[in-house]
Amino acid sequence: MMLAPTYIDGSGAVVPQPTVNQDKFLEEILEYNERFLQVVSPVYKDYIDVKLLRRMSKIVKMSIVSAQVAMQQAGVDQVDAIMTGTGMGCQIDTEKFLNAMIENGETLLTPTSFIQSTHNTMGGQIALMLGNKNHNLTYVHRTFSFESALLDAMMMIAEKEAQKVLVGGIDEITDESWLIKTQIDYYKKHACKNSAVYTDLQPGALSGEGSAFFVLSADRSEKTYAQLKGVSTLYKPRSNKELEDFIKRFLMTNELGLSDIDLVIMGNNGDPVFDRIYEDLATGLFKTIPTGRFKHLCGEYDTASSFALWIASGILRHQYVPSTISQHPFDRKTPKKILIYNHFRNINHSLILVTTPDAS
Amino acid sequence: MEALIEKLKEQIIKQLNLEDITPADINEEDSLFGEGLGLDSIDALELIVLLEKEYGIRIENPKDGQKIFFSIKTMAEFIQEHQKK
Repeated sequence: MMLAPTYIDGSGAVVPQPTVNQDKFLEEILEYNERFLQVVSPVYKDYIDVKLLRRMSKIVKMSIVSAQVAMQQAGVDQVDAIMTGTGMGCQIDTEKFLNAMIENGETLLTPTSFIQSTHNTMGGQIALMLGNKNHNLTYVHRTFSFESALLDAMMMIAEKEAQKVLVGGIDEITDESWLIKTQIDYYKKHACKNSAVYTDLQPGALSGEGSAFFVLSADRSEKTYAQLKGVSTLYKPRSNKELEDFIKRFLMTNELGLSDIDLVIMGNNGDPVFDRIYEDLATGLFKTIPTGRFKHLCGEYDTASSFALWIASGILRHQYVPSTISQHPFDRKTPKKILIYNHFRNINHSLILVTTPDAS
Repeated sequence: MEALIEKLKEQIIKQLNLEDITPADINEEDSLFGEGLGLDSIDALELIVLLEKEYGIRIENPKDGQKIFFSIKTMAEFIQEHQKK
């Protein structure tokens, strides 16, 4: 389904790399040798009143900062809707609340961690800070969470229910959740260098966390630097052919062929089993297109594709592909059309197409 | 009493996550709510839980809260009178 033009006027991200208040666009990256990657915390007090700050857990703080950065960049102080996507929501406060329940025999529960433990806390807190009483929805669909929020935002714009929508994807990692997911080989058990994650042989992905928000607009303005052309998801393809057909069909719907794509950003996460799907595409369907990877920067999390969109729109804004994400030196003309392909353990596959504002 | 006041200050800072505030910054006679420390109704609930959890004291009549939680000193006096632990 091809929707009405949706423009990107602003974006902000808080991830395990320095992205806030940076003049440079991913030119240098932080190297880690950790079990999981955690966000580089901005000076939260510069963005949030200290009285409010003390009740906020990390995920709420990073959401608010990335949303504020996106809105400042777009030059807006209000939006018609707020859409958030999160796979696991406020894990730190959920754990705090559940642990207190166990320790105190289901009595003496404090209100703050309960209030902050719901999945829609981020969307709610952003609305409270903006004094925004408009449409506010949170999608919790594991690795389709951000894509669902994005699609809903695009549909609201297409149906003229909203002119400007704030949309974001956020997830946080905790020791507890990391430990649980290492037991089922979702995440790597031992520390791993993020710069060498794609050749690490341990089962599972290098896990991480992050937040990325975008101001989408129905109209092109002087703030616009990218156009969001389409989002599509595929659940459990039965074969490589089904996956390839899904990609070709998506491009065809957007009146494009493979040769029109200047760069594919893929979601390799260092899992030796499931990265094969990306590798097969890189040497097969995408063999003539430059490819890039991004999860060595942020680790794997349910809404990591939001950071891929932040990178893609940043490439279109800055008009260059940072060597820190490209698999091979980018030797084409300036990129105009970027495809993001992400999958989660061959279950949830998603595509996001982003172009320069004037690209047809 | 002095020791109890100091302990209370530390417990309140920890429970309410009062960043950048040290026990020395809190005057035991200043009001906890409004202009003093600037606490609000959610903090009041946290303080009720703190009293019960740390000192085994349950506030039976919510109307008493305003008097008990006026300042660190009034809290300490209330604890001293009712402490079960």
